[in-house]
Amino acid sequence: MPRFGDLEAAIMDQVWALGDPVRVRDVLEELQRSPVPAYTTVQTVMDILFRKGWLTRRKRGRVNLYAAAASREDYVAQLMGEALAEAKDRSAVLVRLVEEMDPAESAELRTLLEAARSDRSDPDSEGAQ
Amino acid sequence: MTTAVVLLSYAAMVALVGPWMLLAGGWSDRAPRLAIVAWQCLTVSVVAAVALAGVALLIPTASVSGGLAELLRACAMALSAQYSSPGGAAAAATGAILMTTFLGRLAWCLTVVLADARRRRSRHRTALDLVGTTVPGLGAVVLSADRPAVYCLPGRHRRIVVTSGALQLLTEEQLTLVLRHEQAHARQRHDLVLAWSQTTAKAFPRVPLFATARAESARLVELLADDVAIGQDGNRLALADALLTLSSASAPVAALAAGGSTAGARVRRLINPRRPLGRVGAALVASAAIGMLLLPVAVAVGPAASATRMDYCPTAAPAAAASVPSSAD
Repeated sequence: MPRFGDLEAAIMDQVWALGDPVRVRDVLEELQRSPVPAYTTVQTVMDILFRKGWLTRRKRGRVNLYAAAASREDYVAQLMGEALAEAKDRSAVLVRLVEEMDPAESAELRTLLEAARSDRSDPDSEGAQ
Repeated sequence: MTTAVVLLSYAAMVALVGPWMLLAGGWSDRAPRLAIVAWQCLTVSVVAAVALAGVALLIPTASVSGGLAELLRACAMALSAQYSSPGGAAAAATGAILMTTFLGRLAWCLTVVLADARRRRSRHRTALDLVGTTVPGLGAVVLSADRPAVYCLPGRHRRIVVTSGALQLLTEEQLTLVLRHEQAHARQRHDLVLAWSQTTAKAFPRVPLFATARAESARLVELLADDVAIGQDGNRLALADALLTLSSASAPVAALAAGGSTAGARVRRLINPRRPLGRVGAALVASAAIGMLLLPVAVAVGPAASATRMDYCPTAAPAAAASVPSSAD
């Protein structure tokens, strides 16, 4: 079974880059991959992306025209929203590095950090390894 | 009956005293890995004690330690003895209901927590793989977003995510430490620790023990990942700096815990490290944790073991006699 993940990403990249509704052929021409995928493969993957809700599809004459359902920025914003919301309910879905801090506390800790830095380098900067 | 009462009292006592012991003196900050294990043992111990109390009511003399055939035989005998006496049937029914509702609820919540995490993770990962850029050599997916953030999507198909905003703000040293922190989460499967504590908290929301265990586990895995990232000679102040950089809020933070946030406590701990817990302390905690795991089982099996020693079940006698001498003397 072929791995569609990479090809899906490459196709979405092209659809976003081209902007206007595109045919399968337009995407195929822009795809810079070796080996060049077959027309039917690209068509299959674009149909999968349509079924997943990433692409919209409409017919003009006998040709299918595809367009991105949302912009790349929309998806990034959605992912960021999920990542930031997750920290609050502390679920096991994803683990964020650090949650947000009150600016006052942050400033206080920044002062502490600078003090520790100068402590470390000041008195025995020669002696420390 | 007595066994069940002892087990339930044990569960109640541990649920009350356990958290107090684990929170006392702030030793957990000095040994986060051990503290995580201790919290797990504590919750498992309480859950096991209640479940075993149900078993004890249901099958008062079953030999849990014996073989399956022996167990079934003991079951059949014990059950017939139970139902012949008034009150025995009621106790058995109570035990059965206690055990099935308790374990059923736990299993249901575990399924929901895991399935929900799995579904949301896979949806997130799909989108991530389409819009993120995998940078070779970085070991992370880069999302082009101005807002600085780093997070990890754990599980078998794990992803570590860094926004381009974070890449711009962090130095190379800070970035390495931050990625090591996330790799520690992913590699040590901290998500499973969190899934269990989330399950017990969800299943029994009225029991403060489980709510505390959940909050503490979430806090302790962060401390542990910080420690792993620093390793033997990592730059603690660089990691503290990175945490401060990534936690600066763009909007005012509404609710704050008394005495500062968890993030703040982590930064303080990096700036002013405390000595790791000594060997004696660690051994003490470890033996308490093992004790908590063994005690409910020992209480449940104890009367059953002594019952097999008596000539209570003639058919089971040869098998029981063969296994007893070593422990009887």
